[in-house]
Amino acid sequence: MGLFILKRLGLMLLTMLCLTFIVFWLTNLDAKLETLAKTQGSARMTDTEVQQWIANNGYDGSMIGRYGQWLGIVPGWTKEVRGEERGRCLEQGMTFADAPTYCGILQGDFGYSTVLRDDVSTIIKTRLTLTGKLMFWVMIVMVPMALIVGVLAGMREGSRTDRSLSVFSIVTTATPEYVSGVLFIFAVSAFGIKWLKGSAASAMDGLTFANFTLPVLTMALYGMGYIARMTRASMTEVMTAQYIRTARLKGVSFGNIVMKHALRNALIAPFTVIMLQFPWLLTGVVIVETLFNYKGFGWTLVQGASNNDIELLLSCSIVAVLVVLVTQLISDIGYVFLNPRIRVS
Amino acid sequence: MTLKTQKVHSAAEMFAKEHLEGKMDRREFMTRVSALGVATATAYSLIGANPAEAAGHSVKPSMGGTLRIQQEVRALKDPRAFDWSQMANITRGICEYLIEYQRDGSFKGILLESWEANEDATQYTLNVRQGVKFNNGDDLTAEHVAANFVAWADKNVEGNSMASRVAALVDEETGMAREGAIEVVDDYTVRLNLTAPDITIVPGIADYPSAVQHKDMIGQDIAEHGIGTGAYKIESYDVGVKAVLVKNEDHDYWGETYLDRVEFIDLGTDPAAWVAGAEADEFDMVYESVGDFVSIFDSIGWNKSEVVTAATVVIRPNQKAEVDGMMPYADKRVRQAIMLAVDNNVPLELGIAGQGIVAENHHVAPVHPEYAELPPLQRDVEKARALMEEAGMMDFEHEIISIDDDYRRNTTDAVAAQLRDAGFKVKRTVIPGATFWNDWTKYPFSSTNWNHRELGVQILALAYKSGEAWNEAGFENAEFDALLAEAVAIADADARREVMAKLQAIMQDEGVTIQPYWRSLFRHYKDGIVNAEMHPKFEINVHNLGFA
Repeated sequence: MGLFILKRLGLMLLTMLCLTFIVFWLTNLDAKLETLAKTQGSARMTDTEVQQWIANNGYDGSMIGRYGQWLGIVPGWTKEVRGEERGRCLEQGMTFADAPTYCGILQGDFGYSTVLRDDVSTIIKTRLTLTGKLMFWVMIVMVPMALIVGVLAGMREGSRTDRSLSVFSIVTTATPEYVSGVLFIFAVSAFGIKWLKGSAASAMDGLTFANFTLPVLTMALYGMGYIARMTRASMTEVMTAQYIRTARLKGVSFGNIVMKHALRNALIAPFTVIMLQFPWLLTGVVIVETLFNYKGFGWTLVQGASNNDIELLLSCSIVAVLVVLVTQLISDIGYVFLNPRIRVS
Repeated sequence: MTLKTQKVHSAAEMFAKEHLEGKMDRREFMTRVSALGVATATAYSLIGANPAEAAGHSVKPSMGGTLRIQQEVRALKDPRAFDWSQMANITRGICEYLIEYQRDGSFKGILLESWEANEDATQYTLNVRQGVKFNNGDDLTAEHVAANFVAWADKNVEGNSMASRVAALVDEETGMAREGAIEVVDDYTVRLNLTAPDITIVPGIADYPSAVQHKDMIGQDIAEHGIGTGAYKIESYDVGVKAVLVKNEDHDYWGETYLDRVEFIDLGTDPAAWVAGAEADEFDMVYESVGDFVSIFDSIGWNKSEVVTAATVVIRPNQKAEVDGMMPYADKRVRQAIMLAVDNNVPLELGIAGQGIVAENHHVAPVHPEYAELPPLQRDVEKARALMEEAGMMDFEHEIISIDDDYRRNTTDAVAAQLRDAGFKVKRTVIPGATFWNDWTKYPFSSTNWNHRELGVQILALAYKSGEAWNEAGFENAEFDALLAEAVAIADADARREVMAKLQAIMQDEGVTIQPYWRSLFRHYKDGIVNAEMHPKFEINVHNLGFA
């Protein structure tokens, strides 16, 4: 087990290294640096001014070297621009003498966001907390609902309950967030509903039922249908198993069969699916957060990407890899506990 | 400011009487008379009001309160490199300006008590307001103002857009301020010595990148040092999310200000999200309401503020363009026939749904201080046909080109339809935005949008002077050039108006361009908010805002 986790961690580091290098390479293409220069300097800069800006701000030199600086294995750049000492590791007002030589992620420095004008670590922390709240409430709403719907539908395959609940889950899964979200916002304003708000900007300062219901519902409904379908499939399979039939022949009541015999086995497959929802939620929030103006991780990602904010995007990709691989690890380990026939080695 | 009486529309005088009798409020009065094409300054003179006061502080707000404004919160930088007016709307609470451009087209001294230009506009004397302090306790003196001019004239700073605005102070060789161009006369007087007559320096230093900095803080980000003469300080600044200004209690502000707290809330660029936010009570005022959303904001019961700007579209023949081996628009009769065949109200209605006022084909707007009122234009199809026959061009097919968008395409279509009604042959060509601009000055007959500029002469000098790069009409007229050279050296708007009247008449008579309308900008806010009216350059001065 220990070796398995270690291997997984190693794999995680390797994935991060590869992914960040790809992101770094894409964001450091010449055209992208020009975009950066124009958003940071001024939109009306001439080509010479752009080149000057790129040189003055340490974006010249080899790309591998700059990637090394970001990792913290190559000394940070230093430059004197018109008498002012500038450098990667220099904070406002520092001179060459009192700045550290290396400042990369190995030194715990995740860099500075050029668009949001703050330390990347602070931004990621604030924004991820906000998204965390959203994901928490989505999970609280989505998982129980999905399991109940799935189990109810799968209990008696082909019954009226099964058909109607299946239709419901298919409809919700088939409606992407950008459709359901817009419909919700439209409904709120068209019917003049006052106890729900079509914008969640105020939820960043304080969550209320009014400002948080719609974003949570938009995300939860989409994921719910999918998990419910999985649960239903797994449940119907279990319900046709030999041991269920034996139990029925022995005269065990239907309620007891479902609760005591079927449920545990039927939940193995949905468990993996639920864990898979975490990375999906992290990308799904991009749409919902933009739609409802809730400025969390998804919104940060959009800002970083549209402004070519190199260091912010790199850290976002680290977070993404972390979330995906950690939830997969939990899912694999959890699987062992749910299904004793499986063993990790 | 002295105001000359000029001949005004008789209805305007009637409205003035009604206003003075209390039958009509000032807003209504201003809206009506400006729709008649009466210059705003003249309109104020009709009712005996001082324009600067009337525009800036028409209502005195009560003290205190928190105002939430929906506006993009962009990353700040050296103010000289500002490229969005939204940035300046926030920093205006900290760093003020020498001169402020008013929504009625006039200029008002903020950190300047007054300013004078000499006879030929080559020398400006700026009188700095006394008793103004920076929030670090330093006095604002001529030395600080001069240091700002030196910084603005520095072409070597990346993205410094002020350098082109104060070009008459710049030494071409070094790219820095010319020796002797900026003179500190005494503690509160600065003199500018220009290389050539230039009256655009006043609008230049009223524009949003010209925030006045403490002389030791020049080139730095206001969000970081926070030093300025304004009454507010930044409490928090989260790019893309929210910026909060609060009254700086430790600072003795020179003027009056009302709100305790101003929040700028960024809801992105989608107007639909703004409406959702407004309904969810996320803010009290929008930065700008656009297109269809103007009526949507009306329908949720918010107050609408409209300002007519000098932003417009021109549909111009190019006099030098060759089509099939001849120059169809070199003939004045052809151009006049085209102008006569078009009723400018139609493109206004069909192009921009009436969101603006009708214009008079001379590209000088009522909001320009030197605007001279000319007799209204009349559509005359008979005369147009006669002129076209005379020129022998009835069978010529005019190809009118436009960009593929919403309002410019529709406006051009409206013009084309009217020309067809008059019996001319017209072919419409629509070019995608990606390629349209490659050749925009060369098309034989096409439409172009022009942004708002503060002075009428600025636009004439840019677009209609012989040989200018942006002279898309191919217009060359020695008399026009001579009059224009005269006009740009007259700093006083009233004196300049006399020359302007001649320039505008030449533009109309020569049939230089169809210029159908002036576009309006809109803003909405909740009941009870005062001094939040829309500004032609989107400016918001948090010092004036408040609740009634």
